Amino acid sequence: MPGDPSDITVPQNHSGNDTAKAPEVSFTNRALGFVAGILTALLEAGYFVVVGAVLGPAMLWPRTRAAAIRRFLVGVRWLTELELRRRSRFFDDLFPVERDDQKALPYLTSHLAAGLLSAIVVGLLGFGLVLVVLVTRGMIRGSLGIWDLLAQVLLGGVLLFLDIQGIITLAGLDGRLARRYFGPSEREMLKRRIAELSASRAGIVRAVDSERQRIERDLHDGVQQRLVALAMLLGRARRHRDPVEAGRLMEQAHRESEEVLVELREVAWRAYPSALDNLGLPEALAGVAERSSIPVRVRIDLDTPLPRPVETATYFVVSEAVTNAVKHSGAAAIGVAIERRSGCVHVRITDDGAGGADPAGSGLSGLGLRVAALDGRMSVGSPPGGPTEITVEIPCE
Amino acid sequence: MRIILAEDSILLREGLIRLLTEEGHEVLAAVGDGDELIREVEARQPDLIVVDIRMPPTHTDEGLKAALEIRRRWPALGVLVLSQHVEKNYATQLLASDTAGVGYLLKDRVSRVEEFLDSLDRVHNGGAAIDPEVVRQLLARTTHVDPLSKLTNREREVLDQMAQGHTNAAIALKLHISQSAVEKNVNMIFEKLDLTRTTGYSRRVLAVLQYLGS
Repeated sequence: MPGDPSDITVPQNHSGNDTAKAPEVSFTNRALGFVAGILTALLEAGYFVVVGAVLGPAMLWPRTRAAAIRRFLVGVRWLTELELRRRSRFFDDLFPVERDDQKALPYLTSHLAAGLLSAIVVGLLGFGLVLVVLVTRGMIRGSLGIWDLLAQVLLGGVLLFLDIQGIITLAGLDGRLARRYFGPSEREMLKRRIAELSASRAGIVRAVDSERQRIERDLHDGVQQRLVALAMLLGRARRHRDPVEAGRLMEQAHRESEEVLVELREVAWRAYPSALDNLGLPEALAGVAERSSIPVRVRIDLDTPLPRPVETATYFVVSEAVTNAVKHSGAAAIGVAIERRSGCVHVRITDDGAGGADPAGSGLSGLGLRVAALDGRMSVGSPPGGPTEITVEIPCE
Repeated sequence: MRIILAEDSILLREGLIRLLTEEGHEVLAAVGDGDELIREVEARQPDLIVVDIRMPPTHTDEGLKAALEIRRRWPALGVLVLSQHVEKNYATQLLASDTAGVGYLLKDRVSRVEEFLDSLDRVHNGGAAIDPEVVRQLLARTTHVDPLSKLTNREREVLDQMAQGHTNAAIALKLHISQSAVEKNVNMIFEKLDLTRTTGYSRRVLAVLQYLGS
């Protein structure tokens, strides 16, 4: 559906293709894309002139008009496709697969105009460079007075500023045009974001449910069975006539009660490690490393503590990943690296095991949901034969 | 008696084997899932089976499914089911047709060794063993408030015991009253609740349970 941005309010900083997760495009790519845009505009100008001259007469003739226009539009569509590929290649723009062919001609003409204007502006920049060379030569030869030089520099500076402003504006226009005709409109962006939020909200509910299920399973399979077994031992001890045998059973029951306590501590820790609140992430992760039967090397590089939700998510990602590796990978060593870069916390868990970890498995998918709820991203690389690498990025300002 | 156990927790399985052997029973096999249980029952023909409802692979009602199938194929075999929680739905499925030689107990009841062994005997002798907790919940949840409020306290106590599957003699012992007093109470209960007089203890249990559960 065509989006009409005029009737919808959008936060100022939310324009075009940038979402919370859009990666920055490098300056080099943008510059190359801009120059490529000028070249394609020249190509389009050539096409319009040449093909227009050849097909023009046929377009005027009613009987041949339709066929001529059809032929003309084939090239227009091809050129439009080329433009969109250029935008995707240099600017990482995303365009829906469905294209409205009606829009190809108006888009191409607007881009042609903008592109030729860009060519002029870039040409002026070249002209300015020539002037700089001339002024410098004048300086060296001494044919230029100090006041003349100052006037030239001032004038050149102002013109350079204006020209660069023009380039920036035209570069922006190039992107806006492509998006206006073919890209997701503001409304679509918002719809997409809403869909994303709904999905992650449903996901977090699922994750919470499966966590609860796991805690229930832990209590039932571990603590409760042990308690029943303990009560049974005591019951048997009471029934025994033989005091020696009864004493032996009591001793067994006592040992069993200690096992129950250990089990209960473990379950409570798995449900929520209290160390996270009292002692912070490094201490809680040290606990994870201690509990693991495979050596875990934890490297934490954080200048300030993370926000609480991010910290908790980070802890569970590491803890679950380590548990998984211990259970399935057969690795000899696990590495955990946590650092903060450009407003994101980056978590990397690697092991040198057999690989083949399933991102859709219950543990990992639950983590993915948890991370997605914080607008983060998780990727699992685990080729058969290993090594396995799980990376997580969570934004934290 | 000759018993087969189906219980996925190894710890409990060992405990049960010990307990039963100490009591002079013979444990023919101890298995960890429903399919294996059916295979063992077919191969060894025990007198009674003790089944945990929650077993692998899905940890929901595998044990119950196996128990129902075993009841269908070998009706004479005593079946005692152990449940994690009181699941009215599971209990009704199990007790739907006939309560002869059926038990439904909460798993924790195993720790009350005497009661557990007594339940085993009742189920083995073609009686019923319904967990007091199940009966209590049925009594609490019952929609027949009025007829129940007509019962005296003593009659309620007797009803509670009767629903659990105890015989008149056992009820007399438990409540410290004479057997004839129990019989009088039972008659009054059947009259007040408008239950059809049924013969045989297990049918009596079924009648009461159906009354409470409906």
